[in-house]
Amino acid sequence: MKYLLLAVAAGVTLAAAVLFGPADVPLRDIMSSPIVWQLRLPRAVLAFLVGGALGVSGVALQALVRNPLADPFLLGLSGGAGLGAVAAIALDLPGPWALPLAAFVGAVSAMALVYRLGLTGGAELDPRVLLLGGVAVGAFAAAITTAIVSLAQATELRNAFLWLWGGFSGASWTTVLVILVYAPLPLGILVAAARPLDLLALGEEPAQYLGADVRRLKRLVYLAASLLTAAAVAVAGVIGFVGLIVPHLCRLVWGRLHRALFPTAFLAGGILLAAADTLARTVVAPRELPVGIVTALLGVPVFAFLLRRWTAS
Amino acid sequence: MGRWAHRTHLTGLLLLAGLPACREAGRAPPRGNLVVTDDAGRRVALAAPARRVVSLLPSFTELLFAIGAGDRLVGRTTWCDYPPAAVRVPSVGDGMPPNVEAVAARHPDLVVLYRSGPNITAAEQLERLGIKTVLLDLNLLEQLGPAARRLGMLTDRRAAADSLAHLMDSLAAQPLAPGPQSLVFIVWDNPPIVIGAGSYLDRLAALAGARNVFHDIASPSAQVSIETIAARDPEFVAVLSDSAVPPRYATRPEWRVVRAVRAKRFLFLPGQLFGRPGPRVAQAVRELRRRLDQGP
Repeated sequence: MKYLLLAVAAGVTLAAAVLFGPADVPLRDIMSSPIVWQLRLPRAVLAFLVGGALGVSGVALQALVRNPLADPFLLGLSGGAGLGAVAAIALDLPGPWALPLAAFVGAVSAMALVYRLGLTGGAELDPRVLLLGGVAVGAFAAAITTAIVSLAQATELRNAFLWLWGGFSGASWTTVLVILVYAPLPLGILVAAARPLDLLALGEEPAQYLGADVRRLKRLVYLAASLLTAAAVAVAGVIGFVGLIVPHLCRLVWGRLHRALFPTAFLAGGILLAAADTLARTVVAPRELPVGIVTALLGVPVFAFLLRRWTAS
Repeated sequence: MGRWAHRTHLTGLLLLAGLPACREAGRAPPRGNLVVTDDAGRRVALAAPARRVVSLLPSFTELLFAIGAGDRLVGRTTWCDYPPAAVRVPSVGDGMPPNVEAVAARHPDLVVLYRSGPNITAAEQLERLGIKTVLLDLNLLEQLGPAARRLGMLTDRRAAADSLAHLMDSLAAQPLAPGPQSLVFIVWDNPPIVIGAGSYLDRLAALAGARNVFHDIASPSAQVSIETIAARDPEFVAVLSDSAVPPRYATRPEWRVVRAVRAKRFLFLPGQLFGRPGPRVAQAVRELRRRLDQGP
C-alpha cells in the first residue's frame, strides 16, 4: 500500500516536472521539444535519483552513528567536496568535468580521513569518534577552502560557492548516466544490510550476540553511504536537509524497520527533491531559486507537523 | 613581528601627521568648493585639494587618471590595472576589505572607497586616524558623472572633471533604443547567473544597439535556468573574458540546447574595459558595437 502511494506520488511529481517550466512548451510538442528532452526530463530524473540517494544515505548514517542529527554531509563530505571544487577552479583544471570530479575526489578523501580517524586506537568506528572526526575534518577542509578563496586572484572562485550550495542546473543525460551506473552498488549493499542494521539499533553488543558481524557491517555501511553521498555531490553539489529529514519522516510514518525504510526513503527523498526543483524553476520565473531553499520550505512544515503528531501520541 | 612593529610605527606617525590637518579643517571655513556630500550622506570637507590620494576601486583609479589627477595617486588596489601608469602606483592590496594599515601607511590625505558594508567600516577607521575618506556608489552608468564631479572637486581638477562628467551624463541620458540584435550576459554557468536591467552592462548593451534578453529582471544579476535562456533565444552570448576561448560549458549537452551556445556565437569582452563602469564607457560601447557587427 505505502509503495503504491509513493509510486503514484513519484509519477505525478515527475510528470509535473516535465510539464512545467519557465519556457512555454505547447502540450503537443512535449514529445519533440529539446527543452523537454535535453533539459526538463534529465533534470527531473537527476533530482529524483539524487533525492533518493540522499534519503537512503541518511537512513544508513543515522543508523550507523545512532544519532538523529546525522545527515549524509555530517562526516566531512561537504567540506571535502568544497575544497575539491575550489581547488579545481584555482588550479584551472581543464575540461567540463573537472569541477564535479574534483568535488567527488575531495568528498571521498575527507571520508577516507574520517574513516581512518574512526579506526585509530583500536576504536571500531565509534559513533562519537566518527561525528567529532567528521566535524574536525570538515572544518579543516573549509579553512583551507577559505584560505584559497581569499588569497587566489581568480574571481570565479566566488562562484564555486554557488555551485556548492547545490542545484540541478548542470543536469544532462550524462549526469543521469553517471549516477545510474554508480548508485546501484552502494544502494544494494545498504539494502542487503537492512536486517543487521535493525539489530544494530539495539546497541552494538546485543547486535553481536544476535549474530550480526558488527565490525564488518559498520565498515560496509559507512563506505556505501559515503560513496553514495559523494556521487550526489559530484552531480548536484551539496544539497542539505533531504538526507536529514526524509529518514525521520519515513520512520515516523512507516516505522523503524530498515527493510521498509530504505525503499520508502528512496522514493520520498526523490519526490521531495524533484518537487522542490520544479518549484525552484517555476515560482519566480524567469529567475530561479536555489533548490535547497525550496527543500527546506517544503520539508520543514511537513516535518514539524509529523513531529507534533508523534510527540503527542 | 618586525613588519608588524614597522606598520604600527607608521600608523602612529600618520596619526600625528593627520591631526594638524583636522584642526585646520575645523578652524578655517573650507576654501572655495572643497566640500562634497558623498553617497553615504557624509559631508566631506578638505582644507586644500587632495595631494595624496588612495583609490580603492579600479573605476576610481581610471576616473582620477581621466580627470588629470593620476599624479596625486599614492595607492591603488591590485585590481587597478588601467591606465598603464596606474600600475606604477604602489598597491595596498586587493581592497576587499581594505587593509586599513596598508592604506594609512601611504600617508594619504584622501581615500576614495566604493560604498559597501566593509568599506563603510574601513572609512570610519581611517577617519579615526585623521584621514579623510569619501564613499561613492559606482554600479551604474548614471553614477559615473556624479562620481567624476566630486573627485574633481576634491582634487581641484574641476574643469576636466566637469567635461568628463558632462560626457558621461549625456550618455546616461540617451534614450534607450535597442536594435534588433539580442544578447545574454552569462557570468557563471552552474547555476547559470545572468546580468539583469539594474546593471552597467545592460545599459552598455542598449547603447551599443543590442537588447539584453534579461532586461525584464530588475536586479543587477540573477540565477536563471538554462531553459529560460534557451526560450529567450538570444543571438549572442556575451562573456567577460580576456581570451577568445569558448567557455567550458559550451561543450556540455545541457547547454547546447541554447542556440547561440550551439552555434558558438560568443562575444568575448575583456574585463578591463567591460568589467567595470569607467571613463572609457564610450570606447566600450564602440567595441561592443564592433563585435556585434563582426559577429563571433
